[in-house]
Amino acid sequence: MYLTVREATKIYGSFTALNRVSIEIDQGEFVCLLGPSGCGKTTLLRLIAGLSDLDEGEILLEGTALSGLPARKRGFGIVFQSYSLFPNMTVAENIGYGLKIRGTSRPEISRRVTELLKLVKLPQLADSFPGQLSGGQQQRIALARAIAVDPRVLLLDEPLSALDAKVRAELRGEIRHVQRSLGIPTLMVTHDQEEALALADKIICMNHGVVVQAGTPEDLYNRPRTRFVAEFMGISNLLPADAVGRAFPDLAATRPKGREDDHIACIRPEQIGVTPDPDGNSSVRGISFLGNLRRLEVDSPAGSLVVETHGANPCREGDRVALQVAPDACIWVADDSARAPTEAHA
Amino acid sequence: MTTAETSMPAARWRPDKDRLLTWVCVGLPLLGLILFFLYPMVIVFLRSLTVEDGYGLANYARVLSSAGFWRATWHSLLMGGTTTVLSVFLGFIIAHGLHRCAFPGKWLVRGVIVLPLLAPSLVQALGLIFLLGRNGVVSRALGIEIEIYGFWGLLIANTLYALPQAVMIIGAALVLLDARIYEAADVMGASPSRQFRDLTLPAARFGILNAAFVCFTITITDFGNAAVIGGDYSVLATEIYSQVVGQRNFNMGAVVGIMLLLPTVISYAIERQAMKRQQTGQATGEVRYRPSFAPLRDSVMAGLSLLICSGIVAVIGIVVYASFVTLWPYNMALSPKHYDITLAGGYSSLWMTIVISVMAATGGTLALFLLVLGLRRLPRAAAQPIHVLAAMPAAVPGMVLGLSYILTFNSTATPLYLLYGTAVLIAIVNFYHYHTQGFLTLMTGFRQLPPALEEAAGSMGAGLGRTAVDIVAPFIAPMLVSVFFFLFMRSMVTLSAVVFLTTPDLSVAAVTIMRLDDAGLTSQAAAFSTCVMAVVCVALLSMKATLRLMSQGHRVTGGA
Repeated sequence: MYLTVREATKIYGSFTALNRVSIEIDQGEFVCLLGPSGCGKTTLLRLIAGLSDLDEGEILLEGTALSGLPARKRGFGIVFQSYSLFPNMTVAENIGYGLKIRGTSRPEISRRVTELLKLVKLPQLADSFPGQLSGGQQQRIALARAIAVDPRVLLLDEPLSALDAKVRAELRGEIRHVQRSLGIPTLMVTHDQEEALALADKIICMNHGVVVQAGTPEDLYNRPRTRFVAEFMGISNLLPADAVGRAFPDLAATRPKGREDDHIACIRPEQIGVTPDPDGNSSVRGISFLGNLRRLEVDSPAGSLVVETHGANPCREGDRVALQVAPDACIWVADDSARAPTEAHA
Repeated sequence: MTTAETSMPAARWRPDKDRLLTWVCVGLPLLGLILFFLYPMVIVFLRSLTVEDGYGLANYARVLSSAGFWRATWHSLLMGGTTTVLSVFLGFIIAHGLHRCAFPGKWLVRGVIVLPLLAPSLVQALGLIFLLGRNGVVSRALGIEIEIYGFWGLLIANTLYALPQAVMIIGAALVLLDARIYEAADVMGASPSRQFRDLTLPAARFGILNAAFVCFTITITDFGNAAVIGGDYSVLATEIYSQVVGQRNFNMGAVVGIMLLLPTVISYAIERQAMKRQQTGQATGEVRYRPSFAPLRDSVMAGLSLLICSGIVAVIGIVVYASFVTLWPYNMALSPKHYDITLAGGYSSLWMTIVISVMAATGGTLALFLLVLGLRRLPRAAAQPIHVLAAMPAAVPGMVLGLSYILTFNSTATPLYLLYGTAVLIAIVNFYHYHTQGFLTLMTGFRQLPPALEEAAGSMGAGLGRTAVDIVAPFIAPMLVSVFFFLFMRSMVTLSAVVFLTTPDLSVAAVTIMRLDDAGLTSQAAAFSTCVMAVVCVALLSMKATLRLMSQGHRVTGGA
């Protein structure tokens, strides 16, 4: 493994921000730390950056422990949510600052700056000051500044959160492109599951200072292991075992062994088939049209369900319908709701 | 194993060049605070307890049993209270007019209101004598005799002197209130007078309280006005002066000093608490309130502001005018003859004051920058006590600080004696006299510096020294400029802290003005005051120009 965090623990007074967290990042990999605010993801990123100290555990880069090495000697690149460009320097000076500190010659710095500005598609802005740039432009420059020194690891702390939706989507592609083409191992902190799904090779989902589940985006979406992950990654219908028994009797058999309330069923909205049927046991309460899909709110014996259908669907509000779910589309997840927020997901 | 003793994640605890540098940054200014503030304060306290055969409370007993002391105390408190009520009342009118009303010429009000800050405090008194004194223009025009020396004269002079502070503090509280709050009240049907009662007044409450304590402290610690226009109306500040300079009784002076320290410390402590409440009590105004014209309200407010401002202009202006009058009040022809200072030394004390002020401003700004820079990187447990110490000097009246310096540095007990009688010591006393204000200004500036900027620089490989020079200093530059000019201007005009430290060979401008007035050379005192005001005005204008130049650079967001 290229970068390894082993049993990292960080305590602020009586608050345990990180509790024995272990993660790994491979050469060239793009890893996302995903979780709600306060889950410890930013704390972990700051520990790796060297901006704060571990209370227990260790961080290894290519097998060498980083403890005791201050941030300025780690050779990492970092991009913050708040842009954090130096307001007194031009764009070119900002990007070249790390190289200047390393004593790179001026023609070499200016060559590299030009190259990086081209990479982030803002070659015309070299002599502007940060105050004259839009948020999206500033964040591109911050990215260029972070990679200027060929960092050993690129750390991104919610780099897109302060931007509006369209710029965010654009810059997301940009980050992915730059990271892929340079092959820099990258760790990004985000609370936006869509961002994590779109960018990451591997997602590490955190809550309350511990890693809840780590895996590929497909893994986390299709095979969540806990209620928290199921709720956090996209929309899901979460049904207790008895509700599953009432609405989908043939799914009850798939439940793993154990007490009935140990597990709940997670069924994604697009996995539920809906057909008009006057004898059906469910009815359509509401339909929202979302362009490429329709989201139906259905009253079923299991309670209210969210169903998504693509393309034309004959159902109307108030119709009686029958619901179908394939056995392998029903994922039983551990109910960790005592530790997770109870309301549903975005 | 390290424990989480700090919640500031930026603090790093390992043997490291940066850590050493942090301690140097904090250590040098801290040493200064200890040597030039804490140590002299301890000395003054010990001296107040010193009696012929060791230590004891005999000095206190003597002071507390003297009728003169109680009279001065009563006068100080009465004067402080009355001035406070008056200046806060007038200050609120002006601040409310500036921030909550619409009338033309506000820039004029803003300009006039700072005038009293540009002059040594005794200039107000001087102006009043030229206006209302036995030979004053008003007295002569009306043909009446006004007894200006004493309570009333001192009250007016002190009020004029405290007014700018009241306006600034109350104005700062009013400006915090968001325009949307008023819009919401409008929509809900609240009348303007209701809005004033329910929104403006509560928001300004802490500002008013704060202003009251500041005005009270300024008044009871001021020496210049009391010395010039107080007459027989003795107050604590003049009492210290007469004990020390008149009777050469340093121990008794120390006792009176400690007694003067009590109310100012209490007042300052309450004021600091009020400030905290204000800062946490309300959100910052994101949308600025733009008052629209209301004929009745605004014409009344404009009239009142004009009246107060013309009072200030008259008092300051008459000093400038009188300095050019050939022989007040008998020959009113204009001539520059009073600018030929006949007192020994002539203008040398003016040049010396400029040198001292530049030293205090340069050294002080540098020391404060290092201190605040380093404090940010210390763990909270270590930073907190230093923070408290750095904010303490404001509670100490200038008279007491000056007295503590003469007791400390005029003694051959330590090598610090070498500083006695030098311009450096006067620069130092000026810096520590105004240490708190400079410190708090820089702290505010540093709070606006996003931690991510320093972290970004750090992760790019910059150490503390580099970050300070490349990132922090440019960001904080406007604040540094403000602090520099603040220290310069205060050093130019301050009297109370330096009055004990001047020698026949080494005097400062404010002391010279007092001597000229004492010697009956009132017109020359006016001329000298005018010169000081001219220097301070130039400094103020340079500050404004520098700040404007800086903001025209790259800091402004959007097509600057």
